[in-house]
Amino acid sequence: MTGTDEQRRENRLTGRIDGALHLLDRQLLDCEGRMLGKVDDVELTRVGDDLAITGVLTGAAALLPRLGGSLGGALTRKWAELRISEPHRTRPWRIDMSEVDRLDSAVHLSVRRDGVLRRDRDAHRLGRLTGMDVLDPDGERIGRVLDARFEPGPDGTLVLRSVIVGHGRPGSLLGYDRRGDQGPWLVRTVVCRLHRHSAIVGVAASDISWDEGTVRLRERPREAPGHPLD
Amino acid sequence: MKKYLAVALGILTAIGGFVDIGDLVTNAQVGARFGLSLAWVVAIGVLGICVFAEMSGRVAAVSGRATFDLVRERLGPRVGMLNLVASMLITFLTFVAEIGGVALSLQLVASVHLLLIVPFVGLAVWVLLWRAKFSAIENVLGLLGLALVVFAVGLWQLGPDWGALAQQAATADKPGDEHWRTFAYYAVALFGAAMTPYEVFFFSSGGVEERWTAEDISTMRANVLVGFPLGGLLSLAIAGSAWVVLGPLQISVDSLGQVGLPVAAALGKVGLAVAILGFVAATFGAACETGLSVGYSIAQYFGRQWGKYVRPKEAVGFHVVLVLATLAATAFLMTAVDPIMVTEVSVVFSAVALPLTYFPILVVANDRDYMGEHVNGRLANGLGSIYLVVICVAAVAALPLMIWTRMGQ
Repeated sequence: MTGTDEQRRENRLTGRIDGALHLLDRQLLDCEGRMLGKVDDVELTRVGDDLAITGVLTGAAALLPRLGGSLGGALTRKWAELRISEPHRTRPWRIDMSEVDRLDSAVHLSVRRDGVLRRDRDAHRLGRLTGMDVLDPDGERIGRVLDARFEPGPDGTLVLRSVIVGHGRPGSLLGYDRRGDQGPWLVRTVVCRLHRHSAIVGVAASDISWDEGTVRLRERPREAPGHPLD
Repeated sequence: MKKYLAVALGILTAIGGFVDIGDLVTNAQVGARFGLSLAWVVAIGVLGICVFAEMSGRVAAVSGRATFDLVRERLGPRVGMLNLVASMLITFLTFVAEIGGVALSLQLVASVHLLLIVPFVGLAVWVLLWRAKFSAIENVLGLLGLALVVFAVGLWQLGPDWGALAQQAATADKPGDEHWRTFAYYAVALFGAAMTPYEVFFFSSGGVEERWTAEDISTMRANVLVGFPLGGLLSLAIAGSAWVVLGPLQISVDSLGQVGLPVAAALGKVGLAVAILGFVAATFGAACETGLSVGYSIAQYFGRQWGKYVRPKEAVGFHVVLVLATLAATAFLMTAVDPIMVTEVSVVFSAVALPLTYFPILVVANDRDYMGEHVNGRLANGLGSIYLVVICVAAVAALPLMIWTRMGQ
C-alpha cells in the first residue's frame, strides 16, 4: 500500500491533535506499508513542566489494561501467568516517536517492522489519563477525562495542553466536539445533547495525580471544547 | 475500454455475489407463504445495503481503513471488543450456514449423506482461502453465481398473473391465513438476509486488498448501486417463483431442494441443473467471503497483518484464524445440525448485530479528518440517518419476534 498511501491525508503530527480521537487505537504501518499492530497506548514523559508524547505502546500488555474494569485487570494477570518464566511480560512493546514518520488514518513508521519493538520503560500512559476522575477545587467529582489535547512544542514533540472533561466514556465525543457541522444531524444532535456539560481545561490549571488516578482542577471549567479545525 | 470491462465485471460479480444461502432460503420461505407481499422489505434491505456498502467502500478507498479498524478507533478497545465478539459469532454462524449450503447443494446432485460431503467442502473452502488469489475467488464464483438468473427465467416461463403479483407487492397484501406477527418476523428475517454484516466487512476489506484510492470511488459506486439492486431482483424472482409453484400446494420450504423446485417445475432437469450450479457458486462464494471476514475483522481489531495481497507467511496469524474458523465450522456441521435451521437463525441475528458496525461507519464517513472532501453528502446522510433508525428498530424487534412466533411457525 506504500504507493497509494503517499497521497492520503496530511500529516497530523505537526498540528493540534486529540490523543484519544486521533492517535489511540490507530493502525501501525512500517515504511513498506506492512502492519505491525495498533497504537494500544501512548507513552507520556515529563519534560520540564510539560507532559510530552515520547512513544507509542503496542501489544497485549498495553491493550488489556485499557479494557478496564475487572475484566481488564483479570486478563492482564492471565496474560502474565501464561508464561511466568518470561521477564517483564506485562510491560508492553514500545516504539520511540523518533521512528514515527507521520500520522493520518494510520501511524506510519520511518523504519521496517523487523525488530523495531523495544520493551517499554517507566513512564505515564495516555490510556490511564483518559478516564481519570476529575475533581473541582472543592474536591467534588465533576466528571472524567474524555480526551487530551496536544500541541507541538518548541522542539516539535507533541505536548499536553488541555484535557476535555465530561461524562461518559473516553472517546464518546466521537469527534463531534471539534466541528459544529459534522453530520449527520441526527447523530450530532444526540451526541452534543449527551455531552452538553463537557468542557475543556488547560493543564496549567490542573494537577494530575497519577497515583490516585485523579485530575484536580484549580478553577471550575467553563469553556466548551469545540474549536474550528486548523 | 478496459475500465468499462472492469466496471461490467464488478457489476456482474456484485449481482452473482449478492445472493447467499440466507437470501436463497429466506426468500423461498417467504415466497411460498407470503408471495410478494414482503417485496417492500427486500427493496428496503437492498437500498440499505447499498447505503452501507457505499459508505464503507468510500471510507476504505479514501482512508485505507477497513470496518473493524474504524470500529475500534471510534468505539475504543472495550466496546470495540464486545462488538468484535458479537459480530464474529454471527459471522461465524453465517460461515457455518454457507458451508452447509454448499454441502446441501452438492447433496442434491450426489445423493450421499450430508455428513460425508461436509468435510470435503470445509477442506475445499480452506484450500481456496489459502491458495487462491483474491480476485479469482471474487470473479469466478461471482460470475458462476449469475446462474441463479435461471429463477427469473423460470418465473417468466411459469407465466404467472403479473398484474396480481405486482398488486400483491405494491399493496403488501398478506395472505389471509397468515398472522401479522409472523409477517413481521419474516420481514425482519428478510431484512437481515439482505443486509448481512459480513457483506460490508468483506466489501471494505476487499477494497483495501485491491488498493482502492479515491479515484476508484466511481467504479465502486457503479458496482454497488447497479449490482446490488439487480441481485435484489434475483431475490424477488426466487420469492415470486416459490409463490407461484409452492404457494397453491401449501408447501413450506425447509430444504434446499424445495428452493429449487419452482425452477424444476418451469424448466425441467436442465433448469434445475443450472439452479444447482448457481446454488453451489453462490454459497461457495459466500463461504469464502464469510471465512475471510472472520480473519479480516479479528486481525483488524488487533492491528495484525491481514490480507491475501501478502504471502501467507507474511500474515501467519490471519491464516491461522482462517484454518481454525474453517475447522470449527466444519466440526459444528458434523454434529448433524440442520444447515437450513442455522441459516434461519443467522439471518435474524444478522439483523440484531447490524447497528454495531453501521453506527461507527456512519460517523467516520462524516469525519473530515478521514475523508477530506469525500465526506457524506446530503443524500448519503439523509438516507444514512433514516437507515440508522430502521436498523435499530429491526435489531430491537428481531429477538422478541423470534421468540413470540417460535421462529415463524
